[in-house]
Amino acid sequence: MIEVHNLRKNFGKVQALSGASFRAENGKITALLGPNGAGKTTLLRTLVGLLQRDAGEISIDGADPARDPMTVRRNVGLLTDQFGLYERLSAREYLAYFGELNDMPRADIRRRTEEVTELLSLHDIIDRRTKGFSQGQRIKVALARTLLHRPRHLLLDEPSRGLDVMSTRALRRALAALKADGCCVIMATHVMQEVIHSCDDVIVIAGGATVTQGTPQQLCELAGLDSLEDAFVKLVGTEEGIEL
Amino acid sequence: MSAKFLIVLRKEIRETLRDKRALSFLVVFVLMYPLLVGLVLHKQIDRATRPEREGVAIAVIGGAQAPTLMNQLKQRNVTLTEIAPTDEAGITALLRKQAMSAVLRLTPEFSDNYTAMRPARVELWFDSASDSARKLDEVELVLRDYNRQIAGARLLAHGVSPVNLNPVLLQRYDTGTSASRSANTISTMLGIFFIPAFMFCMSTAVDSTAGERERRSLEVLLAQPATPADLIVGKWLAAAMLSIIGITLELAIAHGILKWLPLEELGLSWRLSWMDLMMVCLASASLSLFAAALEIALSINARSFKEAQTLVSLTMIVPLVPVIVVPMLNLTTSWWMYMVPVLNNQTLMRELAKGQSIGLLPFAQTFCSSLLLAMLCVWYTERRMKSERYMMTV
Repeated sequence: MIEVHNLRKNFGKVQALSGASFRAENGKITALLGPNGAGKTTLLRTLVGLLQRDAGEISIDGADPARDPMTVRRNVGLLTDQFGLYERLSAREYLAYFGELNDMPRADIRRRTEEVTELLSLHDIIDRRTKGFSQGQRIKVALARTLLHRPRHLLLDEPSRGLDVMSTRALRRALAALKADGCCVIMATHVMQEVIHSCDDVIVIAGGATVTQGTPQQLCELAGLDSLEDAFVKLVGTEEGIEL
Repeated sequence: MSAKFLIVLRKEIRETLRDKRALSFLVVFVLMYPLLVGLVLHKQIDRATRPEREGVAIAVIGGAQAPTLMNQLKQRNVTLTEIAPTDEAGITALLRKQAMSAVLRLTPEFSDNYTAMRPARVELWFDSASDSARKLDEVELVLRDYNRQIAGARLLAHGVSPVNLNPVLLQRYDTGTSASRSANTISTMLGIFFIPAFMFCMSTAVDSTAGERERRSLEVLLAQPATPADLIVGKWLAAAMLSIIGITLELAIAHGILKWLPLEELGLSWRLSWMDLMMVCLASASLSLFAAALEIALSINARSFKEAQTLVSLTMIVPLVPVIVVPMLNLTTSWWMYMVPVLNNQTLMRELAKGQSIGLLPFAQTFCSSLLLAMLCVWYTERRMKSERYMMTV
């Protein structure tokens, strides 16, 4: 479970986070919805301890990333919005590298690699060097890396971007499996379809602060509108950052 | 810091070993420097051991008119070939073929003028642009001597002492020995052996920092349960390891070549044993560590591989300063030289080549001074990586 209370972060005079508070439960997929520049990336970076907060509280299963970043990182899988791989390593070697960095024994790495290969249909690319991979293939390998060490918490920054239909289905399968496993998943996204289809809970964030949190249904009721998209626009006050 | 740096080290080495371009660069430099130095020294030795006065071949027109001059030329190892009288065009063509170094022409009026004690003309035709023109000093010397001899004989016949022809007597003394002349050359050459320490690690140092940032994989790496120190030390050691292997191989090849060359012909010596060489390689390992650390510290701030490469290439000038400038200053070896990276490796090698026994202190100084600088660079890089300002830009 991830709990955030009144999180603040400034970069000089720019206020990136101005009081974000939410709670993401285990066994639920929580969408992080917000226009561009709302502070999503800063929030995710602060959650894994890459950035230090100016004020507020963070608890990831009781651990604070500012005090104990290593414990937090072992429990968190982070998929950033950039999917840089190592071109001279094969996908399997790439996964093994991050498995080792996460203290996984060799046998576990082998077994988990087979499992994520199955889950994300990576059979055709797992032993290929990652040079020349398409955007979709890159995201799948990066996602496999995120899932490899079985983190209890997942922070995914736009995981469905650039995926084809088959890969999107694979992603949904993976999310469903994580949910069934009791993981806590936070997914930043712009795609309303994805939110409606997969997410149990939605955090709406704008200007660095949480606007509201609730199920898609609750958001629609709150805004007094039928579609989630319209509700989002009304809540945030802008049409920026929406894809259908 | 845990053993995680070993994971990073292994991965960076594996990646570098798959980079064919970086590897071929390494092989070329390992072979190029020793072979180049060997070739230059071989040429010098060859020139030094060639017979003192290599014969000069010149063509003569009308030589029969001055038999004594011809004899004197022959005594000075000048090969003479009598040819038929020809005009300017003919002579020019002959010189252009480079079959002859020069053409000596005695004009048909030579005998008459000589007998009448009028200046008898001797023409020396040569091509100053050609290589062989330099050998003509010998011919001109013979001509001057001959001139003075005749003048002396004539003055004597008139009852005047030939001493009058020499109001000033010039005696030349050259105190430079071949050893002192080549001391600077060899010193610079020895320094150059250590410059590739900065090249061997460049590709890995730049690729694993600026390259990783450019490919956008650094943020993910930083978000792993590994400290920045683990990551930096792994990358640093991977780059340094290549440099250590490269320098060791290069020095071993250079040692083989220098041992084989008859350097004593140049007044030089190469009295290193394989044991000495091993000690030099061990002491120089810290130079590789410093080179890798410096390059990583520089490229950590670059946003792209290209930017870092340019920056690192520019700083390559720095190690050249001690290598080229210090030998020019003609300083005697002193303790501080063992405290300056590159200069200390160079000095160590030079002293050992002379066959000096220098004790262990210079080895320790050489090793520690570079290591200290390397640690400073790693410390800076680690601090930089931890900083939020840096995180914002990865």
